[in-house]
Amino acid sequence: MEIFDQLGKRMLFFDGAMGTILQENGLGAGELPELWNLQKPELIQQIHHSYLKAGADIIKTNTFGANAVKLRGCGHSVQEIIGSAVCAAKKAVQANGGTGLIALDIGPTGKLLRPLGDLPFEDAYAAFREAAVCGEHAGADLILIETMSDTYEAKAALLAAKENTSLPVFVTLIFDEQGKLLTGGNIAAATATLEGLGADAIGFNCGLGPEQIKELLPQLKSCCSIPMIVNPNAGLPRCVDGKTVFDVSPKAFATSMAELASMGAWMVGGCCGTTPAHIAATVRACKEIPPTPLESHALTVVSSYSQAVPFGARPILIGERINPTGKSRFKQALRENDMDYILREGIAQQQSGAHILDVNVGLPEINETEMMCRAVTELQSIIDLPLQIDTASAETMEQAMRIYNGKPLINSVNGKQESMHAIFPLVKKYGGVVIALTLDEDGIPETAEGRLAVAQKIVDTAASYGIKKKDIIVDVLAMTISAGQGAAAVTLDSLRLVREQLGLYTSLGVSNISFGLPQRENINAAFFTMALQNGLSAAIINPNSQAMRKSYDAYCALSGCDTQCMDYIARYSQQTAETAPVAAAQMSVSQAIISGLKESAYSAAQELLRTKEPLLIISEELIPALDQVGKDFEKGILFLPQLLMSAEAAKAAFEVIRAQMDASGSESQVKKDKIVLATVKGDIHDIGKNIVKVLLENYSYDIIDLGKDVPPEKVVDAVKEHHVKLVGLSALMTTTVVSMEETIRMLRQETPFCKVMVGGAVLTQEYADMIHADRYVKDAMDSVRYAHELFGE
Amino acid sequence: MNIDRQEVLRYLGYRNAEPSPEVLHHIADCTEELLQACTPHHIFHREPLRLVSPNIVSFAGITVHSRSLFQHLTGCTEVILFAATLGSPVDLRLERCSKLSMSRAVIMQACAASLIESFCDECQEPIAVEAAAKGLYLRPRYSPGYGDFDIAHQRDFLTVLDCPKRIGLTMTDSFMLAPSKSVTAVIGLTAEPQSCHIAKCMTCQAKNCPFRKG
Repeated sequence: MEIFDQLGKRMLFFDGAMGTILQENGLGAGELPELWNLQKPELIQQIHHSYLKAGADIIKTNTFGANAVKLRGCGHSVQEIIGSAVCAAKKAVQANGGTGLIALDIGPTGKLLRPLGDLPFEDAYAAFREAAVCGEHAGADLILIETMSDTYEAKAALLAAKENTSLPVFVTLIFDEQGKLLTGGNIAAATATLEGLGADAIGFNCGLGPEQIKELLPQLKSCCSIPMIVNPNAGLPRCVDGKTVFDVSPKAFATSMAELASMGAWMVGGCCGTTPAHIAATVRACKEIPPTPLESHALTVVSSYSQAVPFGARPILIGERINPTGKSRFKQALRENDMDYILREGIAQQQSGAHILDVNVGLPEINETEMMCRAVTELQSIIDLPLQIDTASAETMEQAMRIYNGKPLINSVNGKQESMHAIFPLVKKYGGVVIALTLDEDGIPETAEGRLAVAQKIVDTAASYGIKKKDIIVDVLAMTISAGQGAAAVTLDSLRLVREQLGLYTSLGVSNISFGLPQRENINAAFFTMALQNGLSAAIINPNSQAMRKSYDAYCALSGCDTQCMDYIARYSQQTAETAPVAAAQMSVSQAIISGLKESAYSAAQELLRTKEPLLIISEELIPALDQVGKDFEKGILFLPQLLMSAEAAKAAFEVIRAQMDASGSESQVKKDKIVLATVKGDIHDIGKNIVKVLLENYSYDIIDLGKDVPPEKVVDAVKEHHVKLVGLSALMTTTVVSMEETIRMLRQETPFCKVMVGGAVLTQEYADMIHADRYVKDAMDSVRYAHELFGE
Repeated sequence: MNIDRQEVLRYLGYRNAEPSPEVLHHIADCTEELLQACTPHHIFHREPLRLVSPNIVSFAGITVHSRSLFQHLTGCTEVILFAATLGSPVDLRLERCSKLSMSRAVIMQACAASLIESFCDECQEPIAVEAAAKGLYLRPRYSPGYGDFDIAHQRDFLTVLDCPKRIGLTMTDSFMLAPSKSVTAVIGLTAEPQSCHIAKCMTCQAKNCPFRKG
């Protein structure tokens, strides 16, 4: 029997728990259930058989943890275990007269993926690929990826199964009662991601009982256009006599399952605590319920790991600041690998109210694919907004889409055959909403009708790749009015035509309209309002611009999409009170630094620059203030937060001074010697290292920050490449001091010219001596002192 | 659940010194942010305890060679295996904060440390009530990594309690918990009522720990 022959024609039934029954048969806590495929194959076969007898159509193999990550060290290969598991399932099906489908069960690795944990996405993918390939080879009929609480891990598994087997792939996730995954994602976000990646069915398992899932299924149904699965536990876990139990009776379970089937689930079964009796009762209660026809939702939605952003309700703001075009500081950040700068641009835009962040890191002299993947990885680890991947390179696009944790916005495709041929297969495979620029081999049409025609062509071609209209957003292109004043009208007409005639959502890079004109914000803000009025659904703008923000907020209030002007009032009602800015208290630069007041330090430095040489301000104000703060810290009369506040205040002052020196063309303050900082391999806590970095930067050392969980070779490479004379290593735990020792050993061998200072919670002078560090630094100030000693301050 | 300001200041190294208004403001602000962002979960099992010899204890199929744990559990008959986490959204906030401002990041870090402790205390309350009904008292939480209780036992806790699946708590290859603001611990159950007043720090062997109370 083929699953697709049956799916949707009648209710299909999964089996119930495997683990629960194995425990009843003596499986100890902590014992690997998968080993029983080898040790007690008859028992496994018998359990499968009892579920088939109960009426299950699909049995899940006893392979929940059968992946290389979980089985490490168990003495058996993944292939061996999956082979025996599928074999036991096959025998059970044979004993059932050949009726029954075998789902290769794939559970999570039990580890968190980077950067929350230490498992690289690629390693998770490789583990799932091995399992999926073994399962198909052994004869499974389909793959069920289950109990996933992280969409990123689910993505790794789904991609691995889809790319390496030809089996149908279902995915079920574990949500809490609020409809949240343990990693924080919600139903809409997870659905957008998994549907985009081509899952054949999705749904719920584990975590909750059927009663709780009844509350959540409507949410899934409202955004899911593919078949739904519900495999709940036999109720919520209860703690009885110190142990976890699931105790909803088969009858009660079945009654709830019948409701879930009537609500739209096509496949139902059980998870923890369910038994053949639960499944038998469920089959009796549900088998006559006809599957509800699938709803095809025309939702245009992008997602991050945690939230879905739908188009259509309120115009979407796409932050454009992560882009080097015309920004020398940004280009410098890219060249210097200064990821923190890029991340801060992202955070600032989120704070300004952007809904999506555009990410463009293209610069001829850097490896764009590498940089894009790094930027996407780091941005999605600290910002929960969906990203718009913006690149002209299909290769970069594909790699970024692979590692993106969600359904991205894709910037862009256009009407050229070459572009569509490169981009559409990626959209189809990885999922995403693609921005379609209305230009083709003949250039940009000069009329609105011409742009409409290109949009139509793109939509038609997309359809031939299996991409739905809902996943296309049309950018009708804003051209500067300084080249021809009719440009604005054509763009506005095009917006309207695309909205009205194609029913598609639209986007624009709004600020292009004013290129070449003075005071561009005036034009941009007015054009933005006009475009919104003509049907603009998403604007690529600088969300930090007050003028654009005001246009947007006013438009939302006027058009009614800001219900009762609540947001407008919330944003602007307090501002009247702030109209008279408080005169910055007259404070000297050094006072401001000692007090840790960033704004005051900034303005005091600005003021002082009128009368004093930049270099003198540094040597007579900044450095003495920093030294004073450092001394107070060491004496124990000033504490870490203040030390860092002072450091940040000094940094703000430095920035004004540096800007002035750059502007006047004088030699910008020369950076001092380079220092490499790293938190050693295996260690994912780097707050200590970051504190050290802030202080060393204050004293103008040029810090090469390698981040956390850094392999020894990477430290050595960086030291070699930049010929660095000092390395700072941090480790939090005794278990990672081993990596510290290894790193020092390699440095001694390969770069004997380099000194090593070490610090971190578990380190002591004795430890430092034992691993042959040159210096144990007890705190951040100590590291500054050592750097001064070494570099002859 | 709450964040204890005094506790936060202690983590930050303020002994009896008065923090600046900015620091207090950040503490209040971080507290609000963390309470809103956290997704706390916990799980526990009660298991019989065997005190095998002065440096071996055993529970839930786990044999621990540790003199300090033996001392800590002496007089106990059962243990609670306990795990709790504030969830990964807290890690995201901490990471984001460290990109913007390290002064705020260290404060948020201290607030999160206080929050997980307070969450654990709160989770323990019903456990204590249930134990009291049987005439038993709770010893303070004792975690892998304390004293000579090998941190490698982290793995046993996660496996026995099925933490990755039940509460989303995992560990790295070097036994660090992820999400980072998490706790695994064993809690002794004893008929001796006085064990309750032992402050946690006093039983810890990290005598030069800067955060040590008392």
